[in-house]
Amino acid sequence: MKGRLPWIAPAMVLLLALSIFPLIYSLKLGLKPAHFERMFHDRLFHIALWQTLLFTALALIAEFVLGLSLALLIDGLGRAARLFRAGLLMPMLLPPVVAAVAWRLIFNPQFGVLNGTLKGFGLDTSHLTWTNGEGAALLCVVLVDIWEWTPFLFLLLSAGLQSLPQEPLEAARVDGASWWQTTRDITLPLLKPVVLLALLLRSMDLMRIFDQIFILTQGGPGFATETVSLYIYRTAFRFGNFGYAAAMSFVMLAITTVMARSLMRVMKTK
Amino acid sequence: MIHSQNVTIRRLTALLLAALLAGCGKSSNPTPSLTIAVNAGVEGTALKTAAQEWGRQNATRIEVVELPYNNLFEKLLMDLTSRTGSYDVVMMDDPWFPKLVEGGNLTPLPEDPAGDFIRSCLDVCRHPYQAGKYYALPYVGNSQLFFYRKDLFDKYHLAPPDTWDQVLTAAKTIQAKEKMYGYVARAAPGNAVVTDFMPILWAFGGNILNADGDPAVNTVNGVAALRLMIELGKYSPPGYAGFNADEVSAHLLQATAPMSINWPAWIAAMDDPARSKVVGKIDFAQVPSAMKKGQAELGTWLLGVPSGSRNADRAFQFITWATAPEQMKTAALRGNPPTRRSVFESADLKQKFRAFPAQLASLETARPRPRTPLWNEIENAFGIYLSKANAGSMTPQEAMKRAQDEIEAILRRSQ
Repeated sequence: MKGRLPWIAPAMVLLLALSIFPLIYSLKLGLKPAHFERMFHDRLFHIALWQTLLFTALALIAEFVLGLSLALLIDGLGRAARLFRAGLLMPMLLPPVVAAVAWRLIFNPQFGVLNGTLKGFGLDTSHLTWTNGEGAALLCVVLVDIWEWTPFLFLLLSAGLQSLPQEPLEAARVDGASWWQTTRDITLPLLKPVVLLALLLRSMDLMRIFDQIFILTQGGPGFATETVSLYIYRTAFRFGNFGYAAAMSFVMLAITTVMARSLMRVMKTK
Repeated sequence: MIHSQNVTIRRLTALLLAALLAGCGKSSNPTPSLTIAVNAGVEGTALKTAAQEWGRQNATRIEVVELPYNNLFEKLLMDLTSRTGSYDVVMMDDPWFPKLVEGGNLTPLPEDPAGDFIRSCLDVCRHPYQAGKYYALPYVGNSQLFFYRKDLFDKYHLAPPDTWDQVLTAAKTIQAKEKMYGYVARAAPGNAVVTDFMPILWAFGGNILNADGDPAVNTVNGVAALRLMIELGKYSPPGYAGFNADEVSAHLLQATAPMSINWPAWIAAMDDPARSKVVGKIDFAQVPSAMKKGQAELGTWLLGVPSGSRNADRAFQFITWATAPEQMKTAALRGNPPTRRSVFESADLKQKFRAFPAQLASLETARPRPRTPLWNEIENAFGIYLSKANAGSMTPQEAMKRAQDEIEAILRRSQ
């Protein structure tokens, strides 16, 4: 231990300065009963929380189903798989901010590419307002997230598939099992640890969604796409109320932790 | 061997720490310097250029920190409240001023500003508003104008847009006869919708806070004003409840809408053939009236010196120089509307900028947003319900009621 201390000292100093101290400071700021009382009555916080959970659930399910299907499909392609894999990763390689700006232009109801193309097919687009309409805005934001982050789940699951042992699959095939039977009874159960990891990583990321929404809609129209992280950002940096923002962050941390734990429990018992 | 390795590592670590500590300390620098925080945009660019010039004349090293609008406020709030002294001169949008001046975070001016500054621009530099000491100098004189297609108004013999009723009539006529929308409003939550709504609210005799500083949006006048905005929305492009300034101006530039409330920063674009299909066709009028005479919202950029600055004297010299008539004229040529009457009225500038008379008239009667440090929070809450009403998911009465409740809660919490 004594010999190692000089090696780890700089890292410890950095950790103390950049993580531990701010954490203690934010606990001191945030853990006041008044903040939690306000949160309990804060209608805007409740709506933002509900929308964050809805957004997370919709995006996670869609991205997982799509990512898994793509991974399974491409797994059987042999050499051509490489090309598809590279192509599918493109959206994920764009910085989220750039992607969001592009989508903002695409969704513009009068000058955007999307309505322009639909109009080209002879559709009446005058009332298709996408992110500018209260009803569809959240779904549009989910759509952009699916577009951008399905490749991430695809990549993880695809790598998981490649690392599976081949023997059980071959044995099943020899025994005359169909593709569907081997996938359901052998591939997916073997893939479970990777699935768990993928869902954990993605759901934690989704819960703190910020950049895409900030650029696409700023939480609007009205309050239709406001999420907790946007609300925390505004409270801290626009209104200067760091205490309440810290309290909300701790609540989000608690929710995310509970979510992750239950996800792990469900996956283990299954 | 192991021993000597450990010694080397210890020495290296010590060296590293020493270097880190040295970096934290202040190095003595022979040439004086000024650090200036500016808005990344046309307003900031002009100040940046001016600062470099002043630095050369006064043997001062100038460092400019350029930040996007939202970011600038956040950085200023943190720097000013923690008195880090990272900046010697700061550029502020006037609605930020009541929050930033709080707690003595800005240094009062050594002497009151002299000359022909426009009253509305000076008033917002004082704390308390209109009456207190001066803590800033007005640098860019911004207030809203009503942009409208003069050619179409002439074509259909429409009365000029002096009142909101005339605007509605014109919107109806133009939408029926031309292939375009009749009006373009913007109602994205936050700054966008509140800025578009304020002149209507004032014209209808409404207010956000009454004379005692209590919330007063839920009144007959407030509801009537919101109803008018929604009526205008019927002639606006669908989806305007998500529009910001750029969408509004895009519709004007593309000739897909004939009028809107807008900021002077967009005037140059309207007459730029590379961007505009309406060169020379747009006229710039005062914000329309209703029960009361129309008043534009003020959006003046101010220059101040944080209390944490270690170069306050030099900083004041610079901002006095930058807002003197001669420099302000140069800044006007670089695209910044002035805050002095003489600059607005100088013959050569008037010839170059055809909207100057309208801009001056607007500034002289313009009204600032409520002078409260809670403005950002109030604007956010108010904006959400205005945006919802414009999107059609809340009636005007309900929106004003909710906004009133929310603003009351904000004020209550701050006590």
